[in-house]
Amino acid sequence: MAETLVVAVSGINAVDNPGPGLGVIRSLKEDPELEVRAIGLAYDAMEPGIFLDWLVDRSFIMPYPSSAEEDYLARLAYVQQVTGLQVVVPTLDAELPIFIKGEKQLEAQGIKTFLPTWEQFELRSKQRLLELAPRLGLSLPPTEAVSSYQDLIKALDRLGFPAMIKGLFYKAYRVHTFAEAEGAFQKIVKEWGYPVLVQKVVHGEEVNVVGVGDGQGGSLGLMAIKKLWITSLGKIWTGVTIKNQDLIQATERFLEEIGWRGAFELECIATDDRIYLIEINPRFPAWIYFATGAGINLPARLVRAALDLPVEKDAEYEAGRLYIRYTYDLVTSMDTFQRIVTKGET
Amino acid sequence: MKVPYEKPVIRKVQIGLSNKFGSLYGRHIRPEIDGVPVSDLVTRFGSPLFVFSERRLREKYRQLYQLFSTRYPNVQFSWSYKTNYLDAICAILHQEGETAEVVSEFEYEKARRLGVKGEEIIFNGPYKPLSALKRAAEEGALINIDHFDEIYDLEEVAEELGRPIKVGIRLNMDTGISPQWTRFGFNLESGQAFDAAKRLVSGEKLILCGLHCHLGTFLLEPRAYAKAVEKMVDFAYQLQEAFDLQIEYLDLGGGFPSRNRLKGIYLPPEIAVPPLEDFAEAICDTLLSKLRPNDFPKLILETGRAIVDEAGFLITTVQASKRLPDGTRSYVLDAGVNILFTAFWYNFRVELEEDVPGPAEPCILYGPLCMNIDVVADQVQLPPLPRGARLIFSPVGAYNVTQWMQFIRYRPAVVLIDPNGQVELIREAENLEDILARERLPERLKL
Amino acid sequence: MNRLSRLAINEEGFIFDPITGNSFTTNQVGLWILERLKKGKKEEEILAEMLEYFEVDPETAERDLTDFIEQLRNYKLI
Repeated sequence: MAETLVVAVSGINAVDNPGPGLGVIRSLKEDPELEVRAIGLAYDAMEPGIFLDWLVDRSFIMPYPSSAEEDYLARLAYVQQVTGLQVVVPTLDAELPIFIKGEKQLEAQGIKTFLPTWEQFELRSKQRLLELAPRLGLSLPPTEAVSSYQDLIKALDRLGFPAMIKGLFYKAYRVHTFAEAEGAFQKIVKEWGYPVLVQKVVHGEEVNVVGVGDGQGGSLGLMAIKKLWITSLGKIWTGVTIKNQDLIQATERFLEEIGWRGAFELECIATDDRIYLIEINPRFPAWIYFATGAGINLPARLVRAALDLPVEKDAEYEAGRLYIRYTYDLVTSMDTFQRIVTKGET
Repeated sequence: MKVPYEKPVIRKVQIGLSNKFGSLYGRHIRPEIDGVPVSDLVTRFGSPLFVFSERRLREKYRQLYQLFSTRYPNVQFSWSYKTNYLDAICAILHQEGETAEVVSEFEYEKARRLGVKGEEIIFNGPYKPLSALKRAAEEGALINIDHFDEIYDLEEVAEELGRPIKVGIRLNMDTGISPQWTRFGFNLESGQAFDAAKRLVSGEKLILCGLHCHLGTFLLEPRAYAKAVEKMVDFAYQLQEAFDLQIEYLDLGGGFPSRNRLKGIYLPPEIAVPPLEDFAEAICDTLLSKLRPNDFPKLILETGRAIVDEAGFLITTVQASKRLPDGTRSYVLDAGVNILFTAFWYNFRVELEEDVPGPAEPCILYGPLCMNIDVVADQVQLPPLPRGARLIFSPVGAYNVTQWMQFIRYRPAVVLIDPNGQVELIREAENLEDILARERLPERLKL
Repeated sequence: MNRLSRLAINEEGFIFDPITGNSFTTNQVGLWILERLKKGKKEEEILAEMLEYFEVDPETAERDLTDFIEQLRNYKLI
């Protein structure tokens, strides 16, 4: 299988709140059989991935997912025309609706994806976790959706501090006072609109599961971790693989119950007697390379599934593998920057 | 041979904001509406100009009606006058089979004058003057009661007419969406609605035969309708058993969204707005699963926006360009929030009549009013526009030609493009006489 | 005008200011005007040349040139 496979990946913004793109690309490039040419889909000329030419072979600036659907799909068609794009792995929440709703059109154009259905995507929306959590045998921290400042105050009166203020797609702020809550609410509304979610903070171990659902109730591999060190933005800096049976069982129930297809991440808080479901992300997490390094190359499995190639399904990994994120410095000329700024591509 | 020109532009590259699209994408060109060149329309009728497409209007109605009528056997659409009560628009929808849904004596009179029979009118709203109630009752209109005082008013009317009047009551309820429109109708959960029904039945002057609700506006959650249907059907059977009466219709009101871009919603409408099919499915599937066998009360829908919004366009012309002190480019248009009331809620689609060379940048579009709030669109990506360039705004078919105001300027003409591409004037542009017709200047104040 | 002479401008319309570290982009007509400003030409001269060189009417050209120079001033490039 030496033929080059052209895969576009978004989220190549490896910054202090990193996107998953570079972890996905690194995983794809480490697959011994796939010969991947990686196309970076960026939203800003300063996304670091654009400049990391040993990982990202070519980059394109995309219109924001909030622009008209036809513009977004037209840009993808252009990328396909100049690169021979075959598979897209979107990794950002805000762009998933466009890819999920555009799946058939993309498929007809020869661009493959491996994504959840719209129903599945909706079911895990932050607003609907309330219905979903009990079906998985998980608890949910008390949560309210608010669309006005008055409702925010009322919700905080009921839930108390500290609380999490969350956007429907992105951003979560931990707040301790009404003033902080108001600031967070306004920031989220400005960028991501209504409604805003207010959630009680529960204390426990932060545990996560990453995996790929096969779309028929089974998995194409999954792995559980515990976050050991978290940055001030709430992002993992070090972590360790774990084997928590309750967590794995809940994940398997999630796959069975809704027949999830594609990448996912379950974010949970484990206490002595129960597991709280915080979020289900419909995509790979930013630390996805952890799974690859621990022996389960989920991005490569997902791309294989998208192409209907045979896929390994085992989920064998060792507990106690350590993950350490680190920073790295790159110095380069302005050439790439000039090109991406003036032409929108490298 | 001279070199083609485009306006010179320079922009600072701002980290975190250096995304050059929409300059290549997001530039949409609309040289014509239903085959009629925009320039022809402006030459004949001036700018700004509202343009309605009869073809789009009829198609949307038929599509929506079909979505419901193929799923449920007894469906009636009732045209929401407040959304757009231009005679021509109403006439088209009445031709298609819609009855009229009015919320004031003015709308009632307008519908009657247009030729709609009393029994083909649904009369809603929180304030129906006694004289209007009387006329509506006499003429057999379907009246949905909003509050207790209206029960007393209608009983008085019934007494005067010497016969009982068939009525419905409006309900408000929790369907999981917020805000809940609790100010209209009787609350279901608190038992208020049941009390109203009880009072109504015991008076023996009114016959309760229908239930009405209207959950809100531009709702993106089909499940809310399913919930409403569930609650209404349960309530209908509860009433039938308690008072031995027959609920003949369930009026679900309106509130369906159009493909407009609501402010505060991140994703584009093509993605964020569920297909209307989802609403039809939620409503009809719930009806069929909740109703008893062979009981098919009439399902009434008062859909306004979802039918007419996308049939309406506004052509407007750039009158001046200005650079604000912070470097933002802005334009002054001949149409402002005076005629485009829905600019307060939506970020419209903005199209150019013809392509203009040059990179796009985020612009602000101001209307012609001398007021700071007169912003028609914010952050629209546009190339540098010459004076006289035409922009086409859409969808603007709902709520603008009813909520527009005559402030400072005359309201512009409205035209209709018929299915053969013929253009007809359906509302003339206003002039000074229209405004002066009602004014009286006391003799002693004459200059 | 010596601020302008220090700018690194490439033919794609990418401009880098080595003193402030700011980058800018401009289009072909903007580039054409910048080149002339860099040579120290006066606004009136540039306007006359614009009318010779481009397919543009005097009113539009004057308006656009004024606006462009306003932008340069706004960015503190002149």
